[in-house]
Amino acid sequence: MSAGGRKSGLIPFEAASGFLMLLIVAAMSFLACFALAGSLGTTRVANSWTDGLAGAATVRISAGEEDRARRVSLALDILRETPGVLDARPLSEADVAQLLTPWFGSTPQIGELPTPSIITVKLDPDMEPDPEIVQARLDGASSGAVYDDHGRWRNRAASAARAVGGLSLWALGFAVLAIAAVVYLVVSIAMAAHKNTISALRLAGAEDRFVAGVYQKRFFWLGLLGGLLGAVLALVAFLGMDALSSVTSALPGIEPPAYWPFVMGAVVLSAGLVALLSARVAVLTTLRRRA
Amino acid sequence: MILFENVGFRYGRGPEVLQGLNLEIPAGSFQFLTGASGAGKSSLLKMLYLDEKPTSGRISLFGRDVTTLTRDEIAWFRRRIGVVFQDFRLLDHLTAAENVALPLTVAGARESAYRDNVAEMLQWVGLGDKMSVRPPELSGGEKQRVAIARAVVASPDIILADEPTGSVDPEMAERIMSLFMEMNRLGKTILFASHDLAMIERFKMPIMSLHDGTISATAGARA
Repeated sequence: MSAGGRKSGLIPFEAASGFLMLLIVAAMSFLACFALAGSLGTTRVANSWTDGLAGAATVRISAGEEDRARRVSLALDILRETPGVLDARPLSEADVAQLLTPWFGSTPQIGELPTPSIITVKLDPDMEPDPEIVQARLDGASSGAVYDDHGRWRNRAASAARAVGGLSLWALGFAVLAIAAVVYLVVSIAMAAHKNTISALRLAGAEDRFVAGVYQKRFFWLGLLGGLLGAVLALVAFLGMDALSSVTSALPGIEPPAYWPFVMGAVVLSAGLVALLSARVAVLTTLRRRA
Repeated sequence: MILFENVGFRYGRGPEVLQGLNLEIPAGSFQFLTGASGAGKSSLLKMLYLDEKPTSGRISLFGRDVTTLTRDEIAWFRRRIGVVFQDFRLLDHLTAAENVALPLTVAGARESAYRDNVAEMLQWVGLGDKMSVRPPELSGGEKQRVAIARAVVASPDIILADEPTGSVDPEMAERIMSLFMEMNRLGKTILFASHDLAMIERFKMPIMSLHDGTISATAGARA
């Protein structure tokens, strides 16, 4: 008396539609993993960039300015007296030349180029000075120095990370919606195909939630299986992607975080839960519509 | 037990199938319901197993107005009503035993708790050796007996039969009738719809005749 004992066996289910749903859920789970990886990776890279720039500022005195040694000394005095500045020191000509190496190569003539004087400033991260006030003080002393706390760059990096994160959330949302829609459709078709069976169950005293339970259970497992398939394929794609090593070497910090397996687990579980909820809604609305 | 008060019924905007119907069927009674095809027998039964609602009037079962039940309450009431149809309405993908167990399964009973009861029911209808057989492999009479076992397995208070002997030969019809009589002796209220007057008259039970949507006559007191 197996099928009667198992609720799930009471209503037949076509393997073909289950397989089709499995494929779609797997594809959506695959995309969700990539969207999440993109979002998390971008956020981590942006954070590492902005964290690296936080607590630091640069002061630049143009190469064209006369009497640069005096101007540098003046700027250093002002900076060292500014609250929130922990340290300020000028870069040597060799340091500046090294900074330019990526653009000009390591030619001996680089020292002959008109390079600006640069002062690196270490700031108290808990009490960073207002850049406008610092600039005003430097201007007041006619130092000709330009103060840059990298705020503009940090803001750009943060907004770029937010934009990518937002896009990833949209992609995730669409993946969830697609899973919900396909489950709703498959359940509706399955219920139409087995209308008489469901009617017999109802006449035997089955409540709507009993019928919903039969479908929920089945589609939860199908969703979970599809989600797992998609996540495993995403993992294989991540690991097997030739470009991954070049991406990680170009963008240190984009490597998958240690908690990545849990994120993928959450994607798999979410696929199952979305399928379950969508199946429940499909059954209850269909039964009420028929009543 | 069953009370109809001025009940009218129509499908959609069609003509009235039943009109001004008043009837009372006491608990534990056996009542034949007869009438020509289209007289409204099936519609009356559909309202009793809560598949349709009257368009006017009031129906009470077990002292409760059933025209205002919620979907969950309907399910609960249906567990107290067993139904046997002319077309059996068995599930072909389930075995005979699984079909019989259906009302118990949907009520949430465990298979271990009802396995013996189901076997006993199939023995009672003479199909103890067909427990694992699926309906497509059963004859019409066997299917109907499985349907009867399904209707009574949860020990309902009311059993409704809609032309249950319509698809079987006379010998099997007699056998099926005797099962209904036995259920009635066990205290079940039986409402048995049939247009086979010859068979009905042999059993000398109260007869209610439907004609053009109203009860035209009642006859045949308990012998």
